[in-house]
Amino acid sequence: MPATFSPNARRGSRPRLIHSEPVILAFLGAGALLAGLVMAGFSALLSFWAGWREDGVMVQVGRRAFYASAVMIFLASVVLETALLTHDFSLAYVTEHTDLSTPTALVAAAFYGGQEGSLLYWALLLGVLGSASLVASATLGRRLAAYAAGVMASILSFFLVVLVLVASPFDILAITPPDGLGLNPVLRDGGMLIHPPVVLAGFASFAIPFSFAAAALLAGRSDAAWIAHTRRFALMAWGLQSAGLVLGMWWAYHVLGWGGYWGWDPVENVALMPWLATTAYLHSSQVQERRGRLQAWNFGLVMVAFLLVVFGTFIVRSGVVPSVHTFAVSAIGPWFFAFLLLCAVFSAGLLTLRAGGLASVGEPAPVVSREGALVLQNLLLMGVIAIVLWGTILPLVSGMLGQERVVGVDYYQRAAGPLFLVILTVMAAGPLLPWRHAGAPFLRAMRWPLAAALVVLAGLLSGGVRSVPALVAMPLVTAVGATCIFEYGRPLAKVWRARRTRAGRITGAGWARASNLFVKNRRRYGAYLAHLGLVVLVAGVAASHFWQQEKDVALQPGQSVFIAGYTLTYVGAEERQLADHSELVAAMRLGGRTLEPARATYAGLGGQSLTHVAITSSPVADVYVVLAGIGTDGSASFRIFINPLVSWIWTGGAILILGVLAGNLGERRPAVQLAAASLRRTVPAA
Amino acid sequence: MIASLKWGMVGVVVAACVGYLVYSASGGSSEYYVTVSELRAHRPSGDVRVAGVVQTDVQRSEGGLHVRFTENDGTAVVLVDYRGTLPDIFRPGITVVAEGRLGADGVFHARNVLAKCPSRFSTAPYTQ
Repeated sequence: MPATFSPNARRGSRPRLIHSEPVILAFLGAGALLAGLVMAGFSALLSFWAGWREDGVMVQVGRRAFYASAVMIFLASVVLETALLTHDFSLAYVTEHTDLSTPTALVAAAFYGGQEGSLLYWALLLGVLGSASLVASATLGRRLAAYAAGVMASILSFFLVVLVLVASPFDILAITPPDGLGLNPVLRDGGMLIHPPVVLAGFASFAIPFSFAAAALLAGRSDAAWIAHTRRFALMAWGLQSAGLVLGMWWAYHVLGWGGYWGWDPVENVALMPWLATTAYLHSSQVQERRGRLQAWNFGLVMVAFLLVVFGTFIVRSGVVPSVHTFAVSAIGPWFFAFLLLCAVFSAGLLTLRAGGLASVGEPAPVVSREGALVLQNLLLMGVIAIVLWGTILPLVSGMLGQERVVGVDYYQRAAGPLFLVILTVMAAGPLLPWRHAGAPFLRAMRWPLAAALVVLAGLLSGGVRSVPALVAMPLVTAVGATCIFEYGRPLAKVWRARRTRAGRITGAGWARASNLFVKNRRRYGAYLAHLGLVVLVAGVAASHFWQQEKDVALQPGQSVFIAGYTLTYVGAEERQLADHSELVAAMRLGGRTLEPARATYAGLGGQSLTHVAITSSPVADVYVVLAGIGTDGSASFRIFINPLVSWIWTGGAILILGVLAGNLGERRPAVQLAAASLRRTVPAA
Repeated sequence: MIASLKWGMVGVVVAACVGYLVYSASGGSSEYYVTVSELRAHRPSGDVRVAGVVQTDVQRSEGGLHVRFTENDGTAVVLVDYRGTLPDIFRPGITVVAEGRLGADGVFHARNVLAKCPSRFSTAPYTQ
């Protein structure tokens, strides 16, 4: 740290006067982190104590200490960003993640691009979002609000302890190098700007539902107030996690050049599992809000989702599982493991102690009903999580017992695939099911998705498709889509019928009523939009999984290759010199277009080379060309993929996010009132 | 009471299905993850994954689509034969994981070669 700093070794070209500045920056950053830690620790202790005593003033003080901690973390973040943008290579973090040739946007992104910085970014989000969730928390009652602040401040303290003691982004190098090490070329991409922060934000924001759930349990409150209060944060976490997953797929697809977007790598798995758990929670929490049931299950789910987030971070940062991503085997692994154990023991203990008070009111849901479908969906999602978790930790478990074993993509497809199909079935039927129990209207409504599924099935069969998984998956996907559209059609059909009875007077009024209905029930219709987005995404995943075609060819200039109805002609190769790398481009003609797959070589990074994939995208299929190499005889070898419906994945992801936003923008009724009202409606005797 | 019972059954059925799926899927497709020395010592008959460092003797033919190289884990070496596109960062000195089986000829025939992808979390610490 500062003691090892040697001013004599600094670069001569800089004016002497500035020499002390970085030290000040580093001290300022480290100092802010330390102050943040003190504040967070103080907030945690005080909040628990004040909550227990129900001391209003102290509860307030505890909350403000949390805000103060957030401000300190913000200050530290500003310092780190300043150091990055001013190329202050006296900081180890700046040297290890940037160099003078790195574009400015990527230099700025290095803030969350490295181990230490990403932890700081996480703490920053937790501080800011946590503060936002605490601002209006007083309505939940002193005790619950105080405990929530306490739990959140404890989590924040953990991150700050790690940042201060083990992984400080403000460590100073003994000798200031003239230039940094730079960023790996694979990461020099626009995706780098957006994917990591979104994923991390999705992870960090889920600490908020967890904190309020734990606080409700600590305070002995089993009503749905905590769910209503944190609903938006849970949705935000889910939306961010969804966006993070889709962006990660997009990045992998466009940059890595293996023709796919999902490889069931441990790093992908640990991001998928919290998403699955959050998805389950968003659905089951409705059952509690509407019907006053599943209290214990919801507490459990929130805790599982949070534990999976921590578990994922542990796996990714510790390198305990073999992955194509290598992660620095760093000192923070044991810390996260300890934190994971602590959270698990805390959650399990809390649930066990309070389980007695969580008995549900009345009879459980009938199996065939809306709540039944939601519970079934939850069980199935838990099943998928179990499968993915097992595949992820198998190397760890088998390594402890003897020879280390790993499972490949096959395992996940064969084990999770069938469950995904059942989930699709539930997704097709669930929204059409009424609460409490189903009757004839449900069966009538089911004819639309059923008809759509049968049409697609017939189409596939007549098209010569004989693969059973495809014959099951594609009709189911269609059925889910039909259900969503049917749900949108209902209010429109009402308007249509109204028009028919008052013939000739159709008017704005009817349409206004319909649109009013959509706006008033935007939470519901936003959810259906998200369903629709997901099903468009799943259609893309299924189609590219079942019908991807692949061909390796070596071509002389002028020669053509024919694949899946596309004819590609190799034109010739040329060498191009760009700012920080050179490119060997092999042009291919496809119809009127020219594809330019290339291999880039970064001279500055030990001659590391990188594929630049050429993709032409259409709603039907992507033509994806990778240049494998150019032979001495002038021939070029390519790997060509035809990936059907891949563009649907990105479109579906966008629709899904739109649904999350549409369902939540401008909702006026305070969430807590809503919950209280629904509770009064559903549990009159309680 | 009847509804609780039904739900209990649903839960058991889902759990049983998951258990069966995990069992049946992992039986067929799990592979051993071995080092080159372990590969040499045990000569496993099925598919395995072997991790090791690529040596400088990389030979490419057929326009780069056919590759032969030696993998070394520090104590033992094995010759790897692979047909297909290699990861971008493939070059002597990096660690790769070859997926495939050891042939009777003593050459490891890889179906797939994965490179350890350099990650944003793993730049080598600056040392000078």
